[in-house]
Amino acid sequence: MDALWEGLKEAVRLIVSGDAQLREIALRTIFVSGTATLLAMGSGVPAGYALARGRFPGRTVLLGFVNTGMGVPPVVAGLIVWLMLVRSGPFGDLELIYTKQAMIIAQYLISLPLVLGFTAAAVQALPPELPDLLRVLGAGPLRRLWLLSREAQLGILAAIMAGFGSVISEVGASMAVGGNISGDTRVLTTAIVLSTSRGENANAMALGIILLAMAFAVNLVLTVVQQRRRRR
Amino acid sequence: MRVTVEGLVFRRGRRRVLDIPALEFIDGQTTALVGPNGSGKSTLLRLVAALERPDAGSVFLGDRRAGPAEARESVAFAFQQAVFLSGSVRKNMEMALALRGVRGSERATRIAEAAAACGIEPLLHRDALRLSGGEAQRANLARALSLRAPVTLLDEPLSGLDAPSRRQLLHDLPLLLRRFATTTIVVTHDRDEALRLSDSMAVLIEGTVRASGPRADVYGNPPDIESAAFMGYMILPSEGGFLAIAPRGLRHGPGDHCFEMHVDEVIDLGVRREAWGTVAGVRTSVGLPAEGPAPGRTLVVSASNRALKRFGKGEGRAADVH
Repeated sequence: MDALWEGLKEAVRLIVSGDAQLREIALRTIFVSGTATLLAMGSGVPAGYALARGRFPGRTVLLGFVNTGMGVPPVVAGLIVWLMLVRSGPFGDLELIYTKQAMIIAQYLISLPLVLGFTAAAVQALPPELPDLLRVLGAGPLRRLWLLSREAQLGILAAIMAGFGSVISEVGASMAVGGNISGDTRVLTTAIVLSTSRGENANAMALGIILLAMAFAVNLVLTVVQQRRRRR
Repeated sequence: MRVTVEGLVFRRGRRRVLDIPALEFIDGQTTALVGPNGSGKSTLLRLVAALERPDAGSVFLGDRRAGPAEARESVAFAFQQAVFLSGSVRKNMEMALALRGVRGSERATRIAEAAAACGIEPLLHRDALRLSGGEAQRANLARALSLRAPVTLLDEPLSGLDAPSRRQLLHDLPLLLRRFATTTIVVTHDRDEALRLSDSMAVLIEGTVRASGPRADVYGNPPDIESAAFMGYMILPSEGGFLAIAPRGLRHGPGDHCFEMHVDEVIDLGVRREAWGTVAGVRTSVGLPAEGPAPGRTLVVSASNRALKRFGKGEGRAADVH
């Protein structure tokens, strides 16, 4: 309990003092995880829709891959990206390893199956006649995607929340491909690991509390949007 | 607008769902597409609406081959499951008209007209996803009719309704269709609905059209035992084939064709009595006068020449007859 209490006090002190390093790490965390989630949303929602509505050979196998991807440990995703981006790897020439871009790629791969899988489930839960009705009425593919996404909004927002939650809290991939470089690729989760390894438990606890508060704030905004729709 | 089907084949996997060499839905008429569950009725509607692509042959809307663009111009479809987007009934109807390119002022007029005709004016402001089954079916119909499409497709428009709503809509629907739609195809597996709603009928069994034409011709002259059985004819085995007796075609007492009925039960309904039993092993009933002696274990019943059809052994599969 002491560590928790000390951590809470330290968190308040760090926030109130406007600690520059903390602000920088927190903003970087939001930038990396937010960008990865937006990319996953941009590609995962249309792909999830196509997977839900499409009739093509191998669809079930593909859905199986997506569902498996939802459970892949972040450190494994990080390892794969590391192997791709490391200097001797196939994309080593891009010199992305130990950069924020590498972290975004890894986090994108972690959140994509979640956004895609939950979106597919949300779209599949709609009445099957609804897309047909829109087609007969003359709605083109993009209009149908928009209208059906609005109908599946509760599920799609849950998908985005799940995607964001999975990446803002992961540490293995960020550590593997970002390297936890101070002032460059350090994010809250990797900073927590570092503080813990140094025995700075109160600092680690403070960072953890700030991470939770940030995740809560983002999810609260999404939940308000989601539930406002439900009440309508 | 005339709808014609030419050399149509549609498969699902290896199964041939539809095989229709030729079929015409006459301009301005309501045609009931009838047949048992799984006979391909709804699939044919989906092909007319270009929601499916045939493996061979074509559907024509007027003179144009049915494709998504043609369907968008010419077809209104009320699906069996009344589906709506979130929002009020009015918003749903507006959305449908907007997608069809109808301008704002015209939309309001059409919504008011279709809502009044279908009796859903009080529902226009209601959340479309919270309507009861009967309300949803009416709103579904109003949305389809408001499009004023040359071809209107109704898939089981009375399914899922309670008895009073069904009776009311069964009465209203033919009037509405005459007023709003030019060519209507109604899918139903209920022969009574088909008879009430349509000018013409097409009987679809196992993906093939067994009979089509004016309602009285199809109903009065079923081409085979399966069609007859579907339309409610009582099928009796006879020497060299089968006899089919039209629904309510069996009378108490002697007539053109007499049969012996083994009576199980007589139900006294006050104004009349009904004798229940079997004729040649097939369970049926005949009306009896309210007054008179109690019938014995057997009754003489009969069918007129007009009510009775004969089929040879090769004109249907006895195993399917019920």
